[in-house]
Amino acid sequence: MSTEKLLRMVNISKRFGKVQALNGVDFDVNYNEIVGLLGDNGAGKSTLVKIFTGVFPPDTGDIYFEGKKISLKSPQDARRLGIEAVYQEATLVNTMSIARNFFLGREPTKWGFLLDKRRMNRESIEVLSQIGVKITSPRREVSLLSGGERQSICIGRALYFQAKLVAFDEPTAALSVKETEYVLEYIRSLKAKGISVVVITHNIYHVYDLADRFVILDRGKKIGEFVKAEVTPQDIIEVIRTGTASVLEKRGRDGSP
Amino acid sequence: MDPPVSKIIERGNMEISRTVVRKTKREVSRLLQNVLTIPELGVLTAVVVVLIIFSLLSDKFLHVQSFASILVRTAELGIVASGIAFLMISGEFDLSVSSIFAFVPVVSALLMKSGFPFVVILIIGIGIAIIVGFINSQITVRVGLPSFITTLGMMLFLRGLVLALSRGFLLPFAGDKIAEYILAGTITGFFRFSVIWSLIICGIFTFVLTQTRYGNWVFASGGNPNAAYMAGIPIKRVKTLNFLLCSVVAAIAGMIAFARLGMVAPQQGEGMELEAIASAVIGGCLLTGGYGSILGAYLGALMVAMIQQGLVLVGAPPYWYRAFVGFLVVAAAVLNHLVRVRFKARLEER
Repeated sequence: MSTEKLLRMVNISKRFGKVQALNGVDFDVNYNEIVGLLGDNGAGKSTLVKIFTGVFPPDTGDIYFEGKKISLKSPQDARRLGIEAVYQEATLVNTMSIARNFFLGREPTKWGFLLDKRRMNRESIEVLSQIGVKITSPRREVSLLSGGERQSICIGRALYFQAKLVAFDEPTAALSVKETEYVLEYIRSLKAKGISVVVITHNIYHVYDLADRFVILDRGKKIGEFVKAEVTPQDIIEVIRTGTASVLEKRGRDGSP
Repeated sequence: MDPPVSKIIERGNMEISRTVVRKTKREVSRLLQNVLTIPELGVLTAVVVVLIIFSLLSDKFLHVQSFASILVRTAELGIVASGIAFLMISGEFDLSVSSIFAFVPVVSALLMKSGFPFVVILIIGIGIAIIVGFINSQITVRVGLPSFITTLGMMLFLRGLVLALSRGFLLPFAGDKIAEYILAGTITGFFRFSVIWSLIICGIFTFVLTQTRYGNWVFASGGNPNAAYMAGIPIKRVKTLNFLLCSVVAAIAGMIAFARLGMVAPQQGEGMELEAIASAVIGGCLLTGGYGSILGAYLGALMVAMIQQGLVLVGAPPYWYRAFVGFLVVAAAVLNHLVRVRFKARLEER
């Protein structure tokens, strides 16, 4: 197995005023892997993801992507490297059409300024139908779509722009059971295309089938890291609840890989 | 026993006609969806309704002369409203347009008196508008004040300067006749150049908003600044440029009014900022940004002008004009809101 990781974050700390959001966290993502990032509210999951998607820089610590040390000054920097964020409320403009959202900030143009609308409409729909989303018109406003359909736009976007790593923040929050199924299926389709995925979630049952590995944070520290074969969903809930992986060690399981 | 062939065919036909009906139904509902999502829908309907009402109430309303005067008013308000709508879609306001509408002509009048050539005056006027727009934008974008406050202050400040510079007197248009003619002269009969200018400005804004990459950025900056930021759109620069454009076109509209009237009064344009915002809202712009149409705002201005003219022709006391416009703004906003909400609800039921 190659020792090179897709993403390697070393000793990351981040403080917001009095709150130590992250405290010396190491976090890796392998090639073609789905990582479930778990923890209670305020554990630092979102902060960690926002750091490697370029929303803000860490106070201390280094980030390596595909073996090279990187410094991200904006989400655009991250996107350029192939790191895409899918926060449904933060990456879609509800009052705009599907096609306009799909290409937001990366619009195909003629003569450098004129929107190539025909291409936008055609290709956005093409990509969405590839992942199994039926949408009648690329001109439809995003506010008229369901939560799952909205997620699918972000996922289609990641596929189209050939992302290498996609981060989801609570992708199944506020979705119906059926829609959750769809979204999880879309995420699987990313991995099938060789893309690595980080999924932040509260709901272990949603990611347990999906993920290859789980990382658990608690109050800004990493308290556990498990390959799926090592743990059951109940074990993970127990770790999150107690805030320590030692509960598992008692039963003869080693918490740290 | 097998059913007779004719029965089978009949049944088949029924099947076919049923699917045809289903298909047409879907087509119609899709068409309806497309029509209902046109932002100009409300204002177009309203323009027609107002047109019918006033032409029934007064036989002079449909007269050429009446229309010419409506268009003159539409041109000036339409230019200001186009700029405001463009800025509103990117999520900001500008109340100071009404004062720029007077300030630039007043400064121009003083420069004319000193004998400056018109081209120089025009450049200075646009320069002033750019500076005003820049100050508005930087206080809003960098300090983070709501543009409502920033531009309210600017509006009062500039109006004060207008009064101080003019000392409260009317100032004449002392520039050359060609400039006066090109800005607002009559082409044939009752048509004025200003109408053409306003259509060009409305057209350019519409084109930029709907057809260019920049237009996409304008929508996103107003619709969801977070998403715009995540997409790498330079929101601050977009808003700054829109403040400048809004300011500049308001100055142009002010110069047109100045040329048409042959003079500038210190109270020129007072109250216009709200009429322009009203036009934009009537035309389908969301106050919160991210949605709207320049053409809609222009039609909104047309409607405001029609009401003004219509009330005069009907013989209503002029006080009623404001009341009527006020009523319309709320009615239009409610209508737009209901259409959007209803429509959304129906889609979600599916």
